[in-house]
Parts: sequence; structure tokens; C-alpha cells
Amino acid sequence: MPALAIRNASSKAVLLPTVVVMIVCFYGSILWTIYISFTRSGMLPSYSLQGVAQYVRLFHTARWHTAFANMFIFGGLYIVAAIVLGTLLAILMDQQIRLESVFRTIFLYPLAMSFIVTGLAWQWFLNPTMGLQHFVRSLGWESFTFNWIVDRNYAIYTLVFAAIWHGTGLIMAIMLAGLRGIDSEIWRAVRVEGIPRWRAYLRIVIPMLRPLMVTCVVLLAIDVVKSYDLVIAMTKGGPGTSTDLPAKFVVDMSFERANIGLASAGAVIMLIVVLAAVGPYLYFELGRKNR
Amino acid sequence: MARKRTTTRIVVSTVSAWVVGFIFFFPILWMILTSFKTELDAFSIPPKFLFFHWTTENYATVQERSNYVHHALNSVILAGGSTLIALLIAVPAAYAMAFSPTKRTRGTLMWMLSTKMMPPVGVLVPIYLLFRDFNLLDSRIGLIAVLCLGNLPIVIWMLFTYFKEIPKDILEAARMDGATIGKEMVYILMPMAVPGIASTLLLNVILAWNEAFWTLNLTTSTAAPLTVFIASYSSPEGLFWAKLSAASTLAIAPILIIGWFSQKQLVRGLTFGAVK
Repeated sequence: MPALAIRNASSKAVLLPTVVVMIVCFYGSILWTIYISFTRSGMLPSYSLQGVAQYVRLFHTARWHTAFANMFIFGGLYIVAAIVLGTLLAILMDQQIRLESVFRTIFLYPLAMSFIVTGLAWQWFLNPTMGLQHFVRSLGWESFTFNWIVDRNYAIYTLVFAAIWHGTGLIMAIMLAGLRGIDSEIWRAVRVEGIPRWRAYLRIVIPMLRPLMVTCVVLLAIDVVKSYDLVIAMTKGGPGTSTDLPAKFVVDMSFERANIGLASAGAVIMLIVVLAAVGPYLYFELGRKNR
Repeated sequence: MARKRTTTRIVVSTVSAWVVGFIFFFPILWMILTSFKTELDAFSIPPKFLFFHWTTENYATVQERSNYVHHALNSVILAGGSTLIALLIAVPAAYAMAFSPTKRTRGTLMWMLSTKMMPPVGVLVPIYLLFRDFNLLDSRIGLIAVLCLGNLPIVIWMLFTYFKEIPKDILEAARMDGATIGKEMVYILMPMAVPGIASTLLLNVILAWNEAFWTLNLTTSTAAPLTVFIASYSSPEGLFWAKLSAASTLAIAPILIIGWFSQKQLVRGLTFGAVK
């Protein structure tokens, strides 16, 4: 049937522009970045290769070390806390409480807020002279101190608080969907056996949700590597450079320090980190779906 | 006995849900309340929760001192424009993938989604240089293009999953009656896919509205949307908190409304389909 063949061909044709644009813009840009990371480029791109010098320089830059380590501190704490809290919330939502949909919406609201607004609200809340510390002291507890956001050793943890507030709802929604998918036979068996509910959750239900947890970890990890706007709104990388994250490092190197080569090297390292987190997941995910 | 324990459990869960829900909503609530206070009340000790002198002067001041409406308009244009263009490109693409699938369709989709997982800084410098050379820096058109491209994978993917649920037979029947592809899409597919397209649209508006990486780095003032405006304000210095709250409240107001209707789509889109 030639008509069908034409139809199929034309439906491929409508897909083509999208694919071409994505390949050119996305892969073109990434390849360009990778290439530039091996050149001497400063303020302007230069195309003469000079090997891995930018990478060597990158790993001798103290600020990159801070940013890179911060990504793991921030990411590790955020991922663990968001998953634990999100799972607890999901279990809470699964107890047939009234107005469940209202609560679900409230937990999801932070997710709909931009990181700029999130960062701003938390910056104010954690600011020692305006927020929590000020409030508790005014209640009469004069020695109360909570000035993490201005302390270079602790400021990175304040980002974790804001990120948890922002992201926990998403984990709650994922885990709740998982809990709702649990076979009611299992709950009946648990009741018959007289196993306490908390043990049933801990030993039976949560292990069953492990694949979903892996999804959560991957999703959050992608977010962590991308994090940029939260830092900008909350600490601007300060005090000093103590809350720098790789994305902010790369942006600063590109524009303020006018060092495209070094910035590109940093960006390439970030791409590798994402690939390491996402690659295996996508591979298994694709493999599972194809079978 | 068993029943009693169940009631206790429900009461305990309900109470904790209220407490946690309140904690979660508190920052938003506090921001909204603060925006109606005088600067003095915003810092009064102990904080005034509801019994303060309600005023809307902050909102007036925000507009007076800065070009708030200009940035809000930019937000609307950027979010709306990028969403509409993305839909124009994505509807045919999703149509092709949903109704004439091949062996590679799934892979193509995953590949498109995978681009969304990459950190945007990886392409920042080349995009910035392109923008500079084409005189697109701080222009709405350039930003619309970037936001549109950035969210395109999610839009295509969302539409694909919605289109998949439409029975193929109906389209085939139209085809038998001699409808062209264009007619088939506009008169048969679109009316049936309205709910799916609407949810995709809402999701993309939220994503584009909140986008801050590209807007912060590619705009300064002319094309700057609310995110940039608020970020530039973000050192309240203790004096302008009420005004800053007013600006932020205005920025999140549309999201508070859209978010209520589209939480499911938000989850669906942000989890790349792990949750439907």
C-alpha cells in the first residue's frame, strides 16, 4: 500500500525538524564545550588544542574543590533526607486521612515554587538578625544561636534545608503512587499474621518499593548537579565561596573571570557526573522496557 | 479493640498531617502575610501573625519604585510564548511517535528526555556566544527559543503518553474517509486530546515561569522576567522585607493557582513519567 508508506514517511518527516534542532543545539553545543575544554581559551574561544592543561588547572583550583565537595555534601544529605521524609509522608498520606488531596497539594506546593522564591524565603527565615534566631531570642532564650547561613562551615547545610522543603513533595508523590500499587493481599496477610504495621512497612512494603527509590535517587541526583538558582537566591555562593556549587563555579568562570577554557573543563566534569548517575539507570530502564 | 486502634491511628495520622502540612505551607503563608504588613510590623517582636495593620502599600511601592509590570509581562510572554511554540512543534512529533511507532520510537523518546537530564551549564558558553553574535542577549525572542528548546523533550514526551491513550481506530476511520494528515490532526486528534494538551500546557507554563538558569544568565533588564527581578532584589538588608514579600507574592500568585490544578502533571513531568 503506497499510501500507507507515504503516510509513514510523512509522519517521520514531521519528527525530523525536532530531532535535527535537538542534535545541532544540544550535541553541537556539548561537543563544542568538550573541545574548548582542551584549548587555551580565555575570554574568547581559541581553537588551538593544548591537551588536558585546563583539567590539571581545574583540580588545582581551591574553589573548584570547594564546589565539587559541596555538591556531594549537599547532594548526599539532600537525597537521603528527602527520601526518608518523603517516604514517611507518603506512609502518612496512606493512612486514609481526611482531606488527603488537600494535604497532597500542600506538600507539592513548594515544588511549584521557583528556586529563586524558595531561596529567598529561606534566606530570610535563617538570617540571624531577622529570622529564626532573632525570634527565639526575643522569646527570652538570649543565648540561642542559629547562624549557619553566615557561617562558612555550616552555610552549605542551610541550602539542604531549603532543598528538602522544595523536593520532599515530589518523593512523597512517587512513593505514595508506589504504596497505592501494593497488592491488598499483602496487607491482608499482614493482618492475619498479626504483624505490627510499622514492621510490615519496614520489612515488607519498603523493600518492595526499592525500584521506585532508585528512581528517586536518580531524579534527585540530576537536580543536585543542576543546582544553580537556589544558591544564587539564598547565599550567592557565600560567605566567601563556601557554598559554591559546580554550576555556579562554571558560570562565574565563564563570565566574571572570563576563562572559558577552565569553565568548560568544569562543565565537562559535571556532565561526567550526571552520566555516571543516569547512564546505568537509563540502560536498565531501556533494557527492561524492551523486553 | 481492633476498631479502636484504627480510630487512634487515623486521629494520630490526621493530626500529624495537619502539623506537617502547616510547616510545609508556613514559608509561603508567612511571605503572603508579610507582604501585607508595614515594614515596621514585618520586624515587630514578637512577630504579628494576623493582628497587624493590613496594608497594600507594599504592592503600590513595588510598582512605583521598579518596573514590576514590565517584568511580569516578560514572564507572561516568555512562559506563554515558549509553551505555544513548543506545543506547535511537539504535537506533530508526538503524533508521529504515538501513531506510527517504529522499533526506535522508545529509544528516540528516552534520548530526548535524556537531554533534559544534562546540566544546562554544559551548553552555557556556546549558547551565550551564539546569542552575542546574533544580538539576542537580553531579548525576548532569544529567551523564548531557549526555554522552548529546553522544555521541548518534556512536552513531546507528555503529549506522547496522552496520545497513546487515544484509540488508533478512530484516526484510521477518519483516514478511510479520506481525511488528510492535517485534517486528521486538527479535527480528530486535537479535540480528543484537549485534556492532555491542556495539562501539558500548564506544566510547561510552570516550568518556564520558574526557569532561572537561562533567564539569569542571558538577560539583564529588557527581557528579564520576574525570577531575575526578584533575584536582583534578594538582599533585603532588613529594610525592604515587606516589599520583597509583595514582589515575591505577586510572582508566585499565578503558580499558586495553576499549581492547584496541575499538581498531577507536575509530578508526572518532573519524574520523567515514573509516576503517572
